[in-house]
Amino acid sequence: MEGHGIVVIGLSHHTAPIALREQVAFANGVIEPALRELVTLPGVQEGVIVSTCNRVEVVAYGGDAAAASDAIPEFLGRVHGCGTRELRQALYVHEGREAVRHLFRVAASLDSMVVGEPQILGQLKDQYAVAASLGTSGRVLHRCFHKSFSVAKRVRSETGIAEKAVSVGSAAVELAGGIFERFADKTALLVGAGTMGEVTARQLLARGTGSLLVANRTYARALDVARELGGLPVPFERLARYLPLADLVIGAAAAGPDFLLRRGQVEDAMRERRHRPMFIIDLAVPRAIEPAVQELDGVYVYDIDDLDGVIAENQGARATEALRAEAIVDAEVDAFWRWLEGLDVVPTIVAIRDKVEAIRQRELARHLAALGPVDARQREAIERLTRAIVNKILHAPLTALRGHQAAPGESFYVEAARALFQLGEDAPDAALAAVPVPGDDDEDA
Amino acid sequence: MMEILLLRCAAGLYLAATAAVLTAITSQREFPTRLLGWLLGGGLFLHVVSIVLRGAQVAHLPVATQGEALSMLAAVLVALFLVLQRRTGLLALGAVVMPLAFGLTLAASVLKGGAEPLPPVLRSLWLPVHVAFAFLGDAVFGIACSASVLYLVQERRLKAHRGRGVLRRLPSLETLDRLSHTCLQWGLVLLTVAIVTGIVWAHEAWGQAWTGDPKVVFTLLVWGLYVVLLQGRMTAGWRGRWAAQLTIAGFTVLVASLVSVNLLGLGIHGRGY
Repeated sequence: MEGHGIVVIGLSHHTAPIALREQVAFANGVIEPALRELVTLPGVQEGVIVSTCNRVEVVAYGGDAAAASDAIPEFLGRVHGCGTRELRQALYVHEGREAVRHLFRVAASLDSMVVGEPQILGQLKDQYAVAASLGTSGRVLHRCFHKSFSVAKRVRSETGIAEKAVSVGSAAVELAGGIFERFADKTALLVGAGTMGEVTARQLLARGTGSLLVANRTYARALDVARELGGLPVPFERLARYLPLADLVIGAAAAGPDFLLRRGQVEDAMRERRHRPMFIIDLAVPRAIEPAVQELDGVYVYDIDDLDGVIAENQGARATEALRAEAIVDAEVDAFWRWLEGLDVVPTIVAIRDKVEAIRQRELARHLAALGPVDARQREAIERLTRAIVNKILHAPLTALRGHQAAPGESFYVEAARALFQLGEDAPDAALAAVPVPGDDDEDA
Repeated sequence: MMEILLLRCAAGLYLAATAAVLTAITSQREFPTRLLGWLLGGGLFLHVVSIVLRGAQVAHLPVATQGEALSMLAAVLVALFLVLQRRTGLLALGAVVMPLAFGLTLAASVLKGGAEPLPPVLRSLWLPVHVAFAFLGDAVFGIACSASVLYLVQERRLKAHRGRGVLRRLPSLETLDRLSHTCLQWGLVLLTVAIVTGIVWAHEAWGQAWTGDPKVVFTLLVWGLYVVLLQGRMTAGWRGRWAAQLTIAGFTVLVASLVSVNLLGLGIHGRGY
């Protein structure tokens, strides 16, 4: 294990309540000095801090994983001025392969609260960029983080993990997608400006819905929400007048004694809009839209159960896809680990010796055959001669290599040696030469 | 009989393409659309070679028998779908178009009897012109009909709140409605040109424009139906299910007239086209 001591120490929504996560989170101005201090800790040579609303993690690489595992919790407690005991209970420590796997899983959004949500990758890239610009992440963490980004990309493109909607708003958008091709020329009408309605309207706007009308029993609230979302407030009493304009209706107000929308009203509206399809989501419980509305031609009504059904099904699908994603992560962890182990000095020295010895044997056999009959003594002399030459030539480079064993992270010599002697399949690594370009691929936002 | 064999091979590939499309729209995974492209392209290639061979045999555009006509219609339909799919990515349309093409091609390969010489009165430059517009128009209506069938399927799913699960990849109602509408417009233009060239040709051949031929009567009937439908769409806001049903009805009459008129051997179109 020594020689490649990667550790991840942190806490997340799995282990810590929000109050603690808030306390430990790194604000923008704090993260830079913290990073500088991090790399001075015992056992730490490279460090990156990941801090989002759901997790705070320190990723470190150095010679002594055990020392780092001791120092980092204490460091976290000191920086944030919080009790170490409570902190230690919430902290998880991953070392070695598990640390790499953890980072890859986080990047691929397998460890997120909503599995498959895309934001985490962007956050990871940003915070890696901070560390890279300060120079606190070095050769190993550069490689590790870049690999985690490409793992995330693979997972996204090879599995359906991010395809499925798992919130009420996105489920509504998904359902509307069965009816409408484009949203830019559509108008949404939000009836009842509560939180749920607002969130759903926001998602529809994010999908590109052209305009938004907001109606609420208290007009002032409609004004507020309309201003915030960039919509148009309409008086609640005149709802029926505005209904024909609406392609998408979000019914988020409690029905009260009567239904919010009755069949007759919608029927009139449909006639007025010349039967262009209307999509209605009824978010209220009990339902605010008269069930008979559903019978009208060209009107598609979905209630909260339908949305939940979409979400549940999508979560199921995501779980299946997550299994496929884990397999990808496993394979990538293996690949990364092979690379990291390649940085180790001892196996490299052994490999060089083996390779040179094999060459010697081969050449010896060839030339002895050409030489014709030789007696045992002559043969012994030739053996000694060749072995001496080989050992003399290898002596200096192998000593130099061994000298760098004490300093993990100085992988330059090892890599150079592997490349010079053509050891291993991935010795000369073009990707590594191009390190580091923080946040290079920003196709996701 | 080489061309019959090729035609059957093409039909087989169309059947495989049908299966491929169905797999693509019912499975959650990304489907290898390249495979579909090969099936379609390969099928169409064999099909065209078959038509060309037949054309070389009879030394005129091979649309003079029932089988030839159906084969031609299927080929135009597939070509049209191929272009459309390339440009708009509307893969799901194939779920209706490809079985249709398969059925037509299979029927063609069964019905395709021996070659018959073209009567001298029909040997004219009008033949390819009239026939090209007629088949293109029919095929465009075929696409409109396919889009309408998909529309009805999708609309039923949405109404039944089965917006999820299989068939998730169907295009939206709006997409299908618009495609159907556009195809109706183009189909009507093409059909109109076909009718006009037919009238001119008939005038040249027999000295009279109106022949009372059943195929002509049926075609005019469908033409009228589509005019009314388009008019209704544009002024009265007919759309959705009603419009889709009318579109399908129109195409059904079109195919029915093509088949029945030919089977019964009625009128001057009775030979095939």
